[in-house]
Amino acid sequence: MTDTDTTVIGQGVTVTKTGETGAFGGELLTVNFGPHHPSTHGVLRLIVDLDGEQVKRIKPVIGYLHTGIEKQAEALRWQQAVVVTDRHDYLSPPINNLAYALAVERLMGVDVPPRAKVLRVIMSELTRLSSHLVWMGTSGIELGAMTMLMYCFRERDTILDMNEEISGYRMHTSYIRPGGVMADATPRFLDMLDKFIGAMPGHVDEYEDLLTMNPIWRSRTMGIGRLPAEDAKVLGATGPMLRGSGVAWDLRKQMPYSGYEGYEFEVATSDLCDCYGRYLVRIKEMRESVKILRQALDRLPDGPVNVDDRKMLPPPREELETSMEAVIHHFKLFTEGYSVPPGDVYQAVESGRGENGCYVVSDGTHKPRRVKFRAASFVNLQPLERMAMNHMVADMVAIIGTADTVLGDVDR
Amino acid sequence: MIAENLIVDRGVSAGDDWITVAAESAHEALSSLKDEGYRLLVFLTCVDHLADSSREWPRRYELVYQLRNMDTLEQLRVRAFVDGDPPHVESVSDVFPPANWDERETYDMFGIVFENHPDLTRILMPDDWVGHPLRRDYPVGGEVVEFSEEHETWQTAPDKA
Repeated sequence: MTDTDTTVIGQGVTVTKTGETGAFGGELLTVNFGPHHPSTHGVLRLIVDLDGEQVKRIKPVIGYLHTGIEKQAEALRWQQAVVVTDRHDYLSPPINNLAYALAVERLMGVDVPPRAKVLRVIMSELTRLSSHLVWMGTSGIELGAMTMLMYCFRERDTILDMNEEISGYRMHTSYIRPGGVMADATPRFLDMLDKFIGAMPGHVDEYEDLLTMNPIWRSRTMGIGRLPAEDAKVLGATGPMLRGSGVAWDLRKQMPYSGYEGYEFEVATSDLCDCYGRYLVRIKEMRESVKILRQALDRLPDGPVNVDDRKMLPPPREELETSMEAVIHHFKLFTEGYSVPPGDVYQAVESGRGENGCYVVSDGTHKPRRVKFRAASFVNLQPLERMAMNHMVADMVAIIGTADTVLGDVDR
Repeated sequence: MIAENLIVDRGVSAGDDWITVAAESAHEALSSLKDEGYRLLVFLTCVDHLADSSREWPRRYELVYQLRNMDTLEQLRVRAFVDGDPPHVESVSDVFPPANWDERETYDMFGIVFENHPDLTRILMPDDWVGHPLRRDYPVGGEVVEFSEEHETWQTAPDKA
């Protein structure tokens, strides 16, 4: 190998031509894909070695959406760091809030009231639905089913309306916080949720009408991007990637949190191990999420939604006018914040993409020593080369799509 | 169970089991833990204990490996403390394939050098970046906004970062 065989593509990425000859007698070609390609779900860059149109090697280049979220969290106080957890996996903010909130609560030895737990489950499942809807809409567009986006975003908008009603914010809700939730659900929210639960199974039927037996969709996804169960486990894949390979692994069942052990639902799996299998898993998961939402709404208990701890959460507004102590607590919380006992904890939750966890280290001060987000997308992107090997470039798009990576989550 | 002489310390933190091993034997300990059934490396990261007075820390950098046995649902956190400039530790990407990118990220963010790693390059920051952002002595807001007026002067003196 000489220096002339190496091409510097920029960004310090070098690709060495091996001088190999492809199966059709041509030379292997190195092609840059992205970062601003519409099908890369953000800014993902792939350096692909092609033999004709067959993919032979993929080198993902990530970091274009790196925003230093973990560094920012170290500079914020414990209750402020919630807002950055919204922003790494921007399609499932409440689930990320939940991982962080549960981790901090475990370090502090706090247990939230039952109503808060149920509200957390409701928000998590709504988020899972909206995340799957974005996935299905955009994957549909990539594979030529334009209509999907219109249908999916119609229902997603209803979910965003509900986010707005309960938290005042459509996307980055910061609704779930250490010690409980931001505010109690309004009667209007519960009304909207009830209507939504009633309508959603019919909508999922609509999506299935459009895709499940659609010959174009089937030929673009069946047998594409195979990931056998054993490989998926070895490569650390979680979420629909793992369940689409026939492994019934769901943290809500295996390691329940926030009261998930009390809900009846099935873990969706598919033995197809391909893109179509992952699609079936997500469709089934949407139906199961609706089931969980119905159970949660039916059992929503009355009571407070926050822990009764003035050292952790601010006192109610009316107390501030009559109690000096309340004013002091309020002042302390918003100037210094609360401290968390020294220690470290890892809390994993099941997001729409797999295991999104939060590893929190406290040194006993009012700011975290370290907050590490275990991002499902980051790990699920690594088997890409394994899945796309010997497929066409257009199939690679389908594979990136069904891996459902959120680049904000990959780069954090 | 892994050889007891590898374990330096053990305990439970907020319900999570953990053990500490010597950094030199981290690879050996993790391989034997994998053989025991801890087949999933959930994540690998580092904690910088610079000026951390919550307790005595043997060394500045703490490497954290979170392992899981997917059959018995047991979890185990393995810690290893390293020091030096740059700190060195053996890569476990040959034992746990997902460690490949995690180690690149830890190298990028903390400057930990993983020996025998197949491709130890920066993963999130640009390749020409100076410094390791998640170290505690790297200031928040210490970097200059790209393409701003200060950026040019800063580029010529990268040691300021």
